[in-house]
Amino acid sequence: MNKKIFSAVACTAIVASLFSACGNTGSSGSGSGTVSNDAPAQSEADNSATALSGGVYKSIQDLDTESLKGKTITLYTHGGNRVLGEEKKDENGNTYRDESYAYLKHLAEQFEKDYGIHVDLQVNSTEDDIRPLLQTADPGIDIYTSPNWTVEEWQQYAEPYALLSELTPLYGDYAATMYNDGTYVYALMPAKTYNNAVVYNEETIKSVGYDSIPTTQAEFENLCQALRDAGIDPIAMHRVENWPLSTMRDFANYVAGSNDAFPSMLKSDTPFSESHPMGKTIRMYTDWKSRGFFEADTYTDFGVAMDVVGNGKAGMMLFGAWVVPQIQGRCPEGTDPSVIKFAPAPDFGKGQYVMAAAADSYFISKGSDDKEAARLFIEYISESPQYLADSGYIAMKKGVTPVVPELYKIIDDAVEAGTCKVLYNYATDDNSINNEAVLSEANLLADEKYAGNLFDSLDVTKDPDWSAYDAQVDKQNKAYVEAREDLGVSWK
Amino acid sequence: MIYESTLYKVLRYVILVLACVFVLIPLIPLVFMAFKTGAEYSATSVLTPPSNFFNFYNFSYAIRVGKLGKAFLNTAIILVISLFFQIVFTSMVAYVLHRFDFVGRKVVKTLFTLTMFIPVVATQTLIFRMMYAAKLINTMWSVVLLYSGVGIVGIYIMLNQLDTISKEIDEAAWIDGAGFFYTFFRIIFPLMRPACTTLLIINGIGLYNDFYIPNLYLNSDVQTFTVALYKFYGSMSTPFEIVSAAIIIGMIPIIIIFLFLQKYIYNGLAAGSVKM
Repeated sequence: MNKKIFSAVACTAIVASLFSACGNTGSSGSGSGTVSNDAPAQSEADNSATALSGGVYKSIQDLDTESLKGKTITLYTHGGNRVLGEEKKDENGNTYRDESYAYLKHLAEQFEKDYGIHVDLQVNSTEDDIRPLLQTADPGIDIYTSPNWTVEEWQQYAEPYALLSELTPLYGDYAATMYNDGTYVYALMPAKTYNNAVVYNEETIKSVGYDSIPTTQAEFENLCQALRDAGIDPIAMHRVENWPLSTMRDFANYVAGSNDAFPSMLKSDTPFSESHPMGKTIRMYTDWKSRGFFEADTYTDFGVAMDVVGNGKAGMMLFGAWVVPQIQGRCPEGTDPSVIKFAPAPDFGKGQYVMAAAADSYFISKGSDDKEAARLFIEYISESPQYLADSGYIAMKKGVTPVVPELYKIIDDAVEAGTCKVLYNYATDDNSINNEAVLSEANLLADEKYAGNLFDSLDVTKDPDWSAYDAQVDKQNKAYVEAREDLGVSWK
Repeated sequence: MIYESTLYKVLRYVILVLACVFVLIPLIPLVFMAFKTGAEYSATSVLTPPSNFFNFYNFSYAIRVGKLGKAFLNTAIILVISLFFQIVFTSMVAYVLHRFDFVGRKVVKTLFTLTMFIPVVATQTLIFRMMYAAKLINTMWSVVLLYSGVGIVGIYIMLNQLDTISKEIDEAAWIDGAGFFYTFFRIIFPLMRPACTTLLIINGIGLYNDFYIPNLYLNSDVQTFTVALYKFYGSMSTPFEIVSAAIIIGMIPIIIIFLFLQKYIYNGLAAGSVKM
């Protein structure tokens, strides 16, 4: 072999090596992060929404189910408990998954028996795990249980599921609370639920002399103090993560007595001051923190936060109905899970309210090769009231007889008695979109910083100094107004 | 002989002991957690020893539910193929750059050096799309292809090794009628064994521990050990006592490799520190 051939082979190896070296992580370690968020999905998929005309929605009867037999669709979900089973402890205290709680797995198996379509269930830890697949419109994802995305992200990754006008006759007022851009609904949310209220361990509050969650703020705070005095964490918040701070949005509605506390920040020049329901709510939470009403320890994850309510080391949580079955599933062996109950938040001055919204969202990925089969499974879910009830929700599609989980009884009774009023989630409109844009421009939206920065500004390890909190309020008010002026938006 | 004062000796030992403590302290709660029950983990401090050091439940659960056996097999397949090509390509590139004087040699060397300054993440959007177009996503071959690339550190290790191998050996082989491939693979390559071993160990450990690339390119059917470990992390809760057991399982192959090949590892690191 002559020198030229050897050089050619060697050069080919060099070029190949240079190409591969870009991704080489060998001795130099590896980076972290994700593929950038702004990469568009493939053009064919981009055009699908604009190509739509007329109706989009199809019921099970509209679908040719025979032709779909033998197909396999892939569903990704962040709700591992409904696929793998609830995480529980055996009699020796060891962790295991109780598959009887794997409701989605059981439903998928039944679906396969009924329609001959296999559903491959994949659990992802975070949304970032599958973001590159969505960005490339990878056919490996057919359905995803939806995250809290912006309208732009919905348009980018999700196949329009139906026109809003098509779902309103089937789901009533709840249709507008599904993820939509005013025209298209991108994720079907086939159930209804009550959002953030008080999830509590009845046995624990009974141990300090309370049979139920008090209906006034003063009494509620007395309950918290009684729990604290008894060495029990009154409220498990799980502050180590940011998302629990978002519960303040619903509580701000209860403080306001209306469903627009969050978007109405646009109306105010001082949305973080006590003069606005949002500012008042954040201050109330921070005051509770200064009084020791939240956990003293740091929970390593939300599972531990749920465990402490289940085993009575904490009295309650301020979350939605979805958390109730999970805590019930985590109650120690020998404990009656029904001690975990769900009640309205107390009256913060404008009456008792509870937020109602569509729940449990599913969308079809734009890259799916089997959109019809994916749609069939989502419609199947919408007509499976027991599955939705097991998940903590209530089926609400017209013509479907709902199974109402026991956990709703206290709130439903209060609503029926007229002592608690229902507020529907604020529908996506210009005001809600613009408020999020302003918060984002002011660098206060991501990680719920608008609440977290204030909540964290009060140092409770020493005598609380509220001047730092007040200074943060002024800083955020200023940043918010400046961002609103920069964007040129206002309340409409 | 260098004179060491007593103060210096004491100081030296204090620093070394502190360094050991800093390295070992994080491992203590890891070991403790791995032997605790889930209930114990929730109820006790991470520095509290387990009630039973013979509780292997977490280890068996991690292997069974986390499918660690399959993950180890996938990792082994990927490593063997990748490291084979990586070593062959790296040694070939180093040989050409060392032995042959051709137009653009310095440019090629500079280009390799430049890749050191390109963060892995910066190129991933493009590379992911290329892999997607080649239909390699969710197959081992995507990761194998990326891992088989040549890194500049490896080239310099090989170049240093080639400095110690006389060019006269090549020339003697050519005079005897050997071709370039024969000379390289049958005569020079065996003499580069120490450098190859170094590269094998350093890059092998790096690839074994890599999470980013496998997590991005592989699904659960072909996941590697690090990705299998990550799958224990839930969006809401994570059984850390089981994760700890899985981490300890993952450390075992590396510890075994280290014990058997530590002589080469030390030599290799020293080789990498020689002039470039």
